[in-house]
Amino acid sequence: MAFSSFSYPCNLMVVGASDPQKQSLFASSLFGGASDLLCFHQQHRLLKGRKRSCISASLSEGGEYHSQRPPTPLLDTINYPIHMKNLSIKELKQLADEVRSDVIFHVSKTGGHLGSSLGVVELTVALHYVFNAPQDKMLWDVGHQSYPHKILTGRRDKMHTMRQTNGLSGFTKRSESEYDSFGTGHSSTSISAALGMAVGRDLKGRKNSVIAVIGDGAMTAGQAYEAMNNAGYLDSDMIVILNDNKQVSLPTANLDGPIPPVGALSSALSRLQSSRPLRELREVAKGVTKQIGGPMHEIAAKVDEYARGMISGSGSTLFEELGLYYIGPVDGHNMDDLVTILKEVKSTKTTGPVLIHVVTEKGRGYPYAERAADKYHGVTKFDPATGKQFKGSAPTQSYTNYFAEALIAEAEADKDIVAIHAAMGGGTGLNYFLRRFPERCFDVGIAEQHAVTFAAGLACEGLKPFCAIYSSFLQRAYDQVIHDVDLQKLPVRFAMDRAGLVGADGPTHSGSFDVTYMACLPNMVVMAPSDEAELFHMVATAAAINDRPSCFRYPRGNGIGAPLPPGNKGVPLEIGKGRVLIEGERVALLGYGTAVQSCFAAASLIESHGLRITVADARFCKPLDQALIRGLAKSHEVLITVEEGSIGGFGSHVAQFMALDGLLDGTTKWRPIVLPDRYIDHGAPVDQMVEAGLTPAHIAATVFNILGQTREALEIMS
Amino acid sequence: MRCGVILPGASMAPLHLRHRAGASGSGAGALGWTPVKNPGLRAAGLKTRAAVEEGGKVGASFYDLLGISEGGSLEEIKRAYKKMARKYHPDVSPPDLAGEYTRRFIELQEAYETLSDPGRRAMYDRDLARGLQFALSSRRRFDQELEEKAAWRNRWQDQLETLKMRSMQRDSMENLSWGARMRRQRDE
Repeated sequence: MAFSSFSYPCNLMVVGASDPQKQSLFASSLFGGASDLLCFHQQHRLLKGRKRSCISASLSEGGEYHSQRPPTPLLDTINYPIHMKNLSIKELKQLADEVRSDVIFHVSKTGGHLGSSLGVVELTVALHYVFNAPQDKMLWDVGHQSYPHKILTGRRDKMHTMRQTNGLSGFTKRSESEYDSFGTGHSSTSISAALGMAVGRDLKGRKNSVIAVIGDGAMTAGQAYEAMNNAGYLDSDMIVILNDNKQVSLPTANLDGPIPPVGALSSALSRLQSSRPLRELREVAKGVTKQIGGPMHEIAAKVDEYARGMISGSGSTLFEELGLYYIGPVDGHNMDDLVTILKEVKSTKTTGPVLIHVVTEKGRGYPYAERAADKYHGVTKFDPATGKQFKGSAPTQSYTNYFAEALIAEAEADKDIVAIHAAMGGGTGLNYFLRRFPERCFDVGIAEQHAVTFAAGLACEGLKPFCAIYSSFLQRAYDQVIHDVDLQKLPVRFAMDRAGLVGADGPTHSGSFDVTYMACLPNMVVMAPSDEAELFHMVATAAAINDRPSCFRYPRGNGIGAPLPPGNKGVPLEIGKGRVLIEGERVALLGYGTAVQSCFAAASLIESHGLRITVADARFCKPLDQALIRGLAKSHEVLITVEEGSIGGFGSHVAQFMALDGLLDGTTKWRPIVLPDRYIDHGAPVDQMVEAGLTPAHIAATVFNILGQTREALEIMS
Repeated sequence: MRCGVILPGASMAPLHLRHRAGASGSGAGALGWTPVKNPGLRAAGLKTRAAVEEGGKVGASFYDLLGISEGGSLEEIKRAYKKMARKYHPDVSPPDLAGEYTRRFIELQEAYETLSDPGRRAMYDRDLARGLQFALSSRRRFDQELEEKAAWRNRWQDQLETLKMRSMQRDSMENLSWGARMRRQRDE
């Protein structure tokens, strides 16, 4: 009995038994016998106990998992949730195991989000078994845990295209499938959307269920509370499933080990899990009710509620106060429990909003993920048998790493520099900063709005806050940027990572708009480095700007190999001054940010056709280098501004200036190269640039087109 | 829990408790109002057994191991652990003391894991208060987990019952919420 809750391989022996040939195959590849199976389990259990070790004890290197995809007889019969309806609980458990191995093997080939998907396998299977998608709406907050959901809803055969060009999106997407009820990517939107769908259902007179699955990390965002508050008030029937795996920040570890959850909510949820239910008092209350019976029933019910409020963990009253009925905690890996509860809730006629607190383990079922400090949250391709990820070796580091190093160098020199991020210690590189300056790095949870105003408050006290928030996540905090920072001219520095197109994560994560929305603010200094050396200098520049807010953007990806300043300490640039990199004639390419690298490549393409053009790096979008623009406009026929951002950004500011300065009244032509007016789907970065029309070939072809040399333009593009 | 609720007919309590199927496994239900201690009695049996089997260190609590006070904050725990870990790590221990140091180190890790997790620390503190101070072994943790899961099951079964009860009265005419109004409309 004890083994039934154990991990995966035990059940697999049952699966394999149906096919004797395959059984011998993977029995030998796994353990070579039942006795080995048992001692493997004991070893696994012991190892499980050590899972938080940041110093790796002598773990066996050899296969703790299959090296080849095991057979999935049950999953093979299921294309859509409707095919699951006749399964028994035992078969559901087997299905969960098969889905789990399917997820692992697919992600091992494509990379993606592994840990979160593994944690919700049982939950997904139970949900699809009990409810009837797509009439019943299921919303997955953030969406990165939706891989099992996609497998079960007709997309199993496309899983090998996950996160690739023209393939499945890594998050839920309405245009991809009718089973994806809502598009997600940013967190904490599911309860709001679910409430909207529930209310819409009520207004239309329909009767389906609406379920939102949200994690404890996403619960730290304000929008979740706004939604729950409204849900409690409206009292519409809906189910919120709180997927609690105690992982609040991403990735779920810093450099020295797992991150304990930030914020007070997590300890409240923990207390919920550990408080002993005092059934005795409630039993008494029920006994009393029975004794009294009849007309006194209502009073007894009130007593029951009163007692319940006092007895249940101090956290459940939070949700109860918001108006959601709290059920839990529930073991999120126990299929019986999940199916029982979901069936009960579904069959109850009017429930109002219900919150089911499900406790899961991130990375469950894959020993390497369970043991890893970051639970294999986001992985590249890996080898399933050993868990080793294939990390390509690049000659340079990522811009994120360079930013972290630059900030550390600045902070060594200036003790007023502090760093703030919103649950993205790994993604922003601030885990390095945290390790070096533990008292000066603040992780506020998934709360960008709070992070910005918090930084404003720090700036009031004379500190120098650096807010490292992804360009697309900063969109959430736009009002705070305007109202709390820019309007009051507080010197908050914004380091916007993932600017421009971001590859596999797709349009939900791409930072297409930050130049536009930052450069239109009156007091903001807006700059962008063209390579990693410039990034160091701009961090220094931002540190030096102490009378107004400033920001700088840098993309996902690695540096180009520019020589770094000594000691990682940049030199502050002169504000509002760009530079000319190649002196040429007739056409000037004025690039902003890393688009300058594309301009270089375009220039060399053009040079092979006998024309040497000018390439300049604007460095600052605000304030613009007016002298540089005047100079370029006066000495060239054409000025082309190139940026990896939407309309309304750098190019528009240059055009505005040129118009006001009279530079467009003569024969000079200005052309912008910006991101097109549509969302670029996820895919390989190279494919995205082609789709967006921002490759060096596109730029060179544009140059030739304007010069009237259409033949050369066509040559380059083919 | 310290709830001072006085219920009518409380004298009926012992009868009721005695008839209850011992879901939390206490045979001493007839003792009356000691719900907190009851689950521990059964667990104490398991723990004693485990300690005897594994020769666990009696008398030294996790707090003693780390050298901090029982009310220590997470920062203190972390600092203490890091200090001790640096001393007792197998790689830096003197060769003749390697065996003992490694054992110490493993115990330290266990202490850190328990105390740095608020849920587990709460459980551990409760056990400590009852006088059971043995170092947790992974097997004992397994038993505790089973116990915990059983307790959870009881709780949500209760909650489901209450949900059903409440849903009967939910859409009575007094409930003026938007949702209730829509449901009444829909059911007409």
